[in-house]
Amino acid sequence: MERSEILSKINAIFIDTLDNEDIVINEATTANDIEEWDSLTHIQLVVAIEKQLNIRFTSKEIQSWSDVCEMLTCIQEKGI
Amino acid sequence: MIFKEGDLFEQTFTVSTEIYSDFIRLSNDKNPLHTDRGYAQEKGFEDVVMHGNILNAFISYFIGECLPIKDVLIHSQEIQFKNPVYKGTILQFSAEIAGIYESVNVVEFRYNFKNEALKVVAKGKVQIGLLK
Repeated sequence: MERSEILSKINAIFIDTLDNEDIVINEATTANDIEEWDSLTHIQLVVAIEKQLNIRFTSKEIQSWSDVCEMLTCIQEKGI
Repeated sequence: MIFKEGDLFEQTFTVSTEIYSDFIRLSNDKNPLHTDRGYAQEKGFEDVVMHGNILNAFISYFIGECLPIKDVLIHSQEIQFKNPVYKGTILQFSAEIAGIYESVNVVEFRYNFKNEALKVVAKGKVQIGLLK
C-alpha cells in the first residue's frame, strides 16, 4: 500500500474515532495539533488502526511515535 | 497478558423482582412498557418488559467482579436488544475475548445473553482497559 493511501486510511480513522469531520492530518501532525487527540482517544485510535489494518503494534513502537510520520513508517514496516 | 483470544467466560443472571424494582428506583424509568402489564400486552408482549439496561448492569458486574483481575476499566460498551426479557427470567451470559490489543492494554469481549429457551435476547461488545 502506498504511503499516501495509508495516510488517507488513517485520516478516516481519526475522523471516525475523534468524531470530527474536519480533521485533516499530514505527516507532521502531532497530538498538539488536534484538540481531541489525548491520551484516552490515543488508545482508541491505536485499537481502531490495529483492527482496520489487521496489524498489531508493541507498546514500545507506540511510545516511539512523536508525529504521524513515525506512525506511518511503523505501519509500513508491518508490510501493509 | 493474562487473557488470550478465544477465552470464554460464562455467568448466570436472574432478573429478579428486587433487581427490577431497584432499577426503577435507580433510573426512574416507569414507562408503561416496563410497569403496566395491560399496556405491554396491548403492544404484543407477554408481560411487562424488563429494562434492557438491566443487562448493562450485569455486564458491569461481569467486568468489575468476575474477571480474574480487578485492575480493569470499561472503555466502551455496545448492546443490541433482540428479544424481550420478562421478570424472573434466568439469563445465560457468555463472553468471549474477541480481540487483544497489548500495545495499549485493551481487551475486547463479544458477549450474548440467552434466555431459558436459549434464544439470544441481547448481544454486543465491551472494550476494557487493563490498569497498570
